[in-house]
Amino acid sequence: MTTVATTHAVPRVRRTRRRLPWLDRIAYGTVVLLLGLAILGPLLTPHDPYAVDLGQALQAPSGGHLLGTDGLGRDVLSRALAGARSSILGALLAVAGAAAIGILVACVATIGGRWVDDVVMRFCDITLSLPVMVMALGVAVALGPSLRSAVIAMVVAWWPGFARIARAEMRTVITSPYVEAARVLGASRWRVMLRHVLPNSLDGVYVQATLEIGGATLIMAGLSFVGAGAQPPSAEWGAMVETGARYLTSAWWISVVPGLLITLTALAFAISGDSLRTRNHPDAALT
Amino acid sequence: MEKSLLARYLARRLALLATTLWGVVTIVFLLIKAIPGDEAQAAAGVTATPEQVEVVRQRLGLDESVLHQYVSYLGRLLHGDLGTSIFTFQPVLGDLQQLIPYTMELVGLAMVINLTCGVPLGVWAAARHRTRTDNAVRLTAIFCGALPTFWLAMIAQTTIGRQLGAVPISGVSTLGVEVPRRTGFLTVDSLLAGDLAAFSDALAHLVLPAAVLAIPFMSFVIRVVRGSMVTALEADHVTAARAKGARERTVLLQHGLRNSVAPVTTLIGLQVGWMMGGAVMVETVFSRPGFGSYLTQAVAQKDTFAVIGMVLVVGVIVTFVGLVVDLVQLAADPRVRLLETRRATA
Repeated sequence: MTTVATTHAVPRVRRTRRRLPWLDRIAYGTVVLLLGLAILGPLLTPHDPYAVDLGQALQAPSGGHLLGTDGLGRDVLSRALAGARSSILGALLAVAGAAAIGILVACVATIGGRWVDDVVMRFCDITLSLPVMVMALGVAVALGPSLRSAVIAMVVAWWPGFARIARAEMRTVITSPYVEAARVLGASRWRVMLRHVLPNSLDGVYVQATLEIGGATLIMAGLSFVGAGAQPPSAEWGAMVETGARYLTSAWWISVVPGLLITLTALAFAISGDSLRTRNHPDAALT
Repeated sequence: MEKSLLARYLARRLALLATTLWGVVTIVFLLIKAIPGDEAQAAAGVTATPEQVEVVRQRLGLDESVLHQYVSYLGRLLHGDLGTSIFTFQPVLGDLQQLIPYTMELVGLAMVINLTCGVPLGVWAAARHRTRTDNAVRLTAIFCGALPTFWLAMIAQTTIGRQLGAVPISGVSTLGVEVPRRTGFLTVDSLLAGDLAAFSDALAHLVLPAAVLAIPFMSFVIRVVRGSMVTALEADHVTAARAKGARERTVLLQHGLRNSVAPVTTLIGLQVGWMMGGAVMVETVFSRPGFGSYLTQAVAQKDTFAVIGMVLVVGVIVTFVGLVVDLVQLAADPRVRLLETRRATA
């Protein structure tokens, strides 16, 4: 046996520098942390988030109240922790609901033939032409303002975006040889759809969903802020910003704390989504 | 593009516009019908007696079949009747005609700020692709997109407006400053009246809300400009231009940025509608009269018809902006013209 010495220079494939990997890692970590907060937050509150104590109103951050108290003497840290559940889980639910409906509609459009596809997609375009915020306000007022209607409103306004993305992917997947093979073997249209096309068409939807959770948090909070979402006294970040608006000069912490949390959530999901997109489609790294 | 082809394109596009508008109206109608509870009761107000509710029911034709209602709703819309606000007792359309100019002024200035900051940042990042500058701009874009508008508006109002006293913190003009209303746009009206003091007053009230409204939208503009330019700059013709000794400035602007025109125009079309959504929050915080504050008031007062009327108006505005965007692209982009010519002759 002789060892073949590889003396000739192997051209090294230069790896494209990954953009700020540490930032992506921080973002993923933050997302996990925020999800943990959404689940455990209400259990970690040092004080009762709803306990009114006017004697303790507008206390600056201190040992007793780490992030101060609001105009009704409620502990801001406790409310922020309790609010994590409604704000983050609300946004997650809205995006999950919109994605589910969007995927279903995309399935129908893909196997329904040209006519169904045209009608469904035109309907999506029309719904997409209405700004989410305005559309959601319309739905929220129709159903009566509450956190639940805000979630429903966002599902109503957002599913067409997911339908479009899923449909675009399904239309490429459906032309693949393995789909044709399944069809030749006699699989029914729905079986082909559910077993072969659907599972292979969801990458874009996952990435889009991650990207959209940040945006959903912003819109949810916005809806609560203008009074179409969570109602007082419930602890929700957007509503908390609103209650603190009057005290911004005297007791900034009431609004600033939930505002920063909303920003942090939106930021973490946006960076994570961006990083997932780059991983799935290296070309997208350019944009 | 030939004249006959252009005419055919316009005809097709207008037909599409009509379908879209009809679709928007239908969605809005379905929205009304989806409202749980008695519509007549809602329209008559909570204090109305059962007899009054019946009168309203008959006047609005709510005792007819749903199909009949749909047809007459379409009929009323064609006559410009968007319904009557149950709070101001004014026709919604009349209220809106007064308020929409304030919002369009806000959205207009926000769009100008958005583009004048966003486009250069995008170009800068693309020119320094894969460098620290690029990463910094990219992060700025993501950060801008993650800021909650209403919160930013509050913070800016308090710090820049109240504490620094740099600009007025609420409203559209200082009390006592009046100009004859012609167009409804305060900035335009004050210029028409030749009143520069009133113009600068209106602008001072406008600039902070517009800047706040613009910030989240810059995020998209930066990314779109950067992305389309990076792709364009990798093309062979750019290498050729560089090899022939073209100045970097020429390469960037003529070969790179020109490719961003189409995606940016499309983005502007979408952003006009989104900005009207954002104006809802900005107008509320800065107590500016306008589409958004009217909408939040209507939501708070459960003024269903006013809300629905406004959803419809936004749909119409967005649809028309879409048409304008398509026409601009047709005029600006030879590739779009070619595509449309092919489609028309096919």
